[in-house]
Amino acid sequence: MGGVIESYDAIVVGSGITGGWAAKELCENGLRTLVLERGRHVEHGKDYVTEWWQPWQFAHRGRGDQQLYERDYPIQSKNYAFGEATRHFFVNDREHPYVTPEGKPFRWIRGYQLGGRSLIWGRLCWRWSDLDFGANLRDGHGVDWPIRYKDLAPWYAYVERFVGVSGERLGLAHLPDGEFLPPWELNCAEQVVKQGIEHAFRGRHMTITRVANLTQAHNGRGACQARNQCARGCSFGGYFSSLSATLPAARKTGRLTVVTDAIVHSVMYDERTDRATGVRVIDANTKATREYFGRLIFLCASTLGTAQILLNSTSPRFPTGLANSSGQLGHNLMDHISKAGARGTVPGLEDKYVYGRRPTGTYIPRFRNLGMPGEAKVAFLRGYGIQAGAGRQAWSRGADAPGLGVELKQRLREPGPWGISLQGYGECLPRHENYVDLDPERTDQWGIPLPRVHCSWSENERAIREDVKTQAAEMLEAAGCTNVETYDEDGPPGFSVHEMGTARMGRDPKTAVLNAHNQAHDVPNLFVTDGACMTSSSCVNPSLTYMALTARAVDYAVSELKRHNL
Amino acid sequence: MTQSSNDAQPVIDRREALRRVTLLLGGALSASTVAGVLAGCEARRTPDGAWTPRALTSEQVELVAAVAEHILPETDTPGARAALVHRFIDAMLAESYPAEERQRFLTGLGDMDARAQRSCGRAFLRCATQEQRAVLDQLDHEAFAAAGDHAATPPFFRTMKELTLVGYYTSEIGATRELRHAPVPGRFEGCVPLDRIGRAWAV
Repeated sequence: MGGVIESYDAIVVGSGITGGWAAKELCENGLRTLVLERGRHVEHGKDYVTEWWQPWQFAHRGRGDQQLYERDYPIQSKNYAFGEATRHFFVNDREHPYVTPEGKPFRWIRGYQLGGRSLIWGRLCWRWSDLDFGANLRDGHGVDWPIRYKDLAPWYAYVERFVGVSGERLGLAHLPDGEFLPPWELNCAEQVVKQGIEHAFRGRHMTITRVANLTQAHNGRGACQARNQCARGCSFGGYFSSLSATLPAARKTGRLTVVTDAIVHSVMYDERTDRATGVRVIDANTKATREYFGRLIFLCASTLGTAQILLNSTSPRFPTGLANSSGQLGHNLMDHISKAGARGTVPGLEDKYVYGRRPTGTYIPRFRNLGMPGEAKVAFLRGYGIQAGAGRQAWSRGADAPGLGVELKQRLREPGPWGISLQGYGECLPRHENYVDLDPERTDQWGIPLPRVHCSWSENERAIREDVKTQAAEMLEAAGCTNVETYDEDGPPGFSVHEMGTARMGRDPKTAVLNAHNQAHDVPNLFVTDGACMTSSSCVNPSLTYMALTARAVDYAVSELKRHNL
Repeated sequence: MTQSSNDAQPVIDRREALRRVTLLLGGALSASTVAGVLAGCEARRTPDGAWTPRALTSEQVELVAAVAEHILPETDTPGARAALVHRFIDAMLAESYPAEERQRFLTGLGDMDARAQRSCGRAFLRCATQEQRAVLDQLDHEAFAAAGDHAATPPFFRTMKELTLVGYYTSEIGATRELRHAPVPGRFEGCVPLDRIGRAWAV
């Protein structure tokens, strides 16, 4: 300790998609705010080091990479966005270990840098509906959400306006429309398949993905350039990230302080005042410890990161972790199932092609268990949506068939047939036995106990997978596709990078960590607004909901602060 | 309890990489090739522009260059040799391929030479062009007639062909002269006449 005492109005732990939002909202509400990021500093634009590289310019970066991936990136390298062009935005698994039981893998995909995973996220933005917020109450799994759609709707609109979400309005009650920028176009094959599916299956739709890629300039950020290489970083600001959008807005207020390489060890708690007083931090490089004090603490360190911090914040009052009088801290971990679906060929359209690389795909919204009259009975709870995409085969098909010489070269000069792939994303039930705790013996190089993740799929998730495959294949066949085949590459939990639920919201302090405003039931000035807060998982990508909850929680926290309730 | 690195076989890693490239490009490339593409393997130069192979002997380099040129020859655009595909293949073998796969490739190269000896009575490089082509046609035919996609160890010629395609179409010549490449498209149009683009996109 250097004897340094730094005090702020608010401390935000984490600079990813929710940390950025918390910082922006807190600063704009007049609070002097400290953002702590455990990873390195990344400067928008300048540090997107591979952004302008062409395929042939990766000349000196390949040495021994396969061995490197196996040694240092055995988990991260399985993520779809990982590659030599983006490796620097993923953690080194060897340097940042965690523990899983034998035979129960969990893939924890992480980006430890300013901006966190908002640099490498998938950018899909869906509103939840009351089908989702009422799901636990309806079937008895988990506890009831303390909020409903009407509580969050204005905050969805608020964040959408700032983020810039492109999309098509569908008028579906279970996938509410938002405030959209113009949608990306479907390609020719997708238009055909869409018509085929919608004609054959009443109530099913195929739409363009709602995505945080700007189809036009927005809020001072440039339009997406259709390069489809977002995870390298985008100096146009064509996709939403903490670095392109929220942190600059926070900085503009003059009230933002950002400290990187600052690993939060724990949240400090004062029993006399029953308040969190600040955080204890370890410098990632020097390993020196220091403390920061704040009147408000926002934990936005990710579902597992936040749980780890709280579990490591013990005191006589909270011997099993801060704000854990419910015993639910770390439990009810969820992810989405994915990696199952069907693919096929879309016949014809040989004289059609695309211009540009659209940074997203298409989507078939949930059609199971909507509570509609006359809908098919299925042998599972909840539902799934399907992410889809079509395109013409490229030169690589040449490696797959005989032929060489002039004939081969001429053939590959033309694009190949149109192919389409459908992949389900299914809801995961909240279950107490899926949890994270701390290893009692092993620590990381900063002396912080390693998280142990215990998570596996249940029968319900397996049943969803099966239905995804069947329905995806049937829809492709109905749409006239040929060579239709199902696939199932069983990714372990974590693979969808939608982990959530370790500090759930709920009405009852006995069964939930957070209340309806993401405020800890036990500690009034402690808020958790990342994925940890989620009470159920829906089947749609969760980031937009995290953002809306964050903005709403800050609004509440600031008003409570002004009323001297915190 | 084990560390998280005890997660899955590396083959899953490669399969996932393969899936991504397949989704993107629509074809099928072997795991090792994809890993190399993702790793950005390419020819290595010393500052004065000289190049020396690191996995292949100079004779093997010539052999690889000749075979690559057979696979993707010069037409109205330059072929594999001009795109320095042999350098890419050497870099892939040296940097990206595990020792076992590297050895399998080198053995396959030797077998090909032996086959040329049998069919035309000389080393591959000393056979006439048509004789070389006949050897390769036969290898190509065999490589795709057999177990094919799901063979644990792909036939040498499949690997050779894949590496040639990747090395060529990700080169500046392959991407910009043979195919179409738009580094910054600026917009997306979902349904345009193929005539307007003219050729396949490289990426």
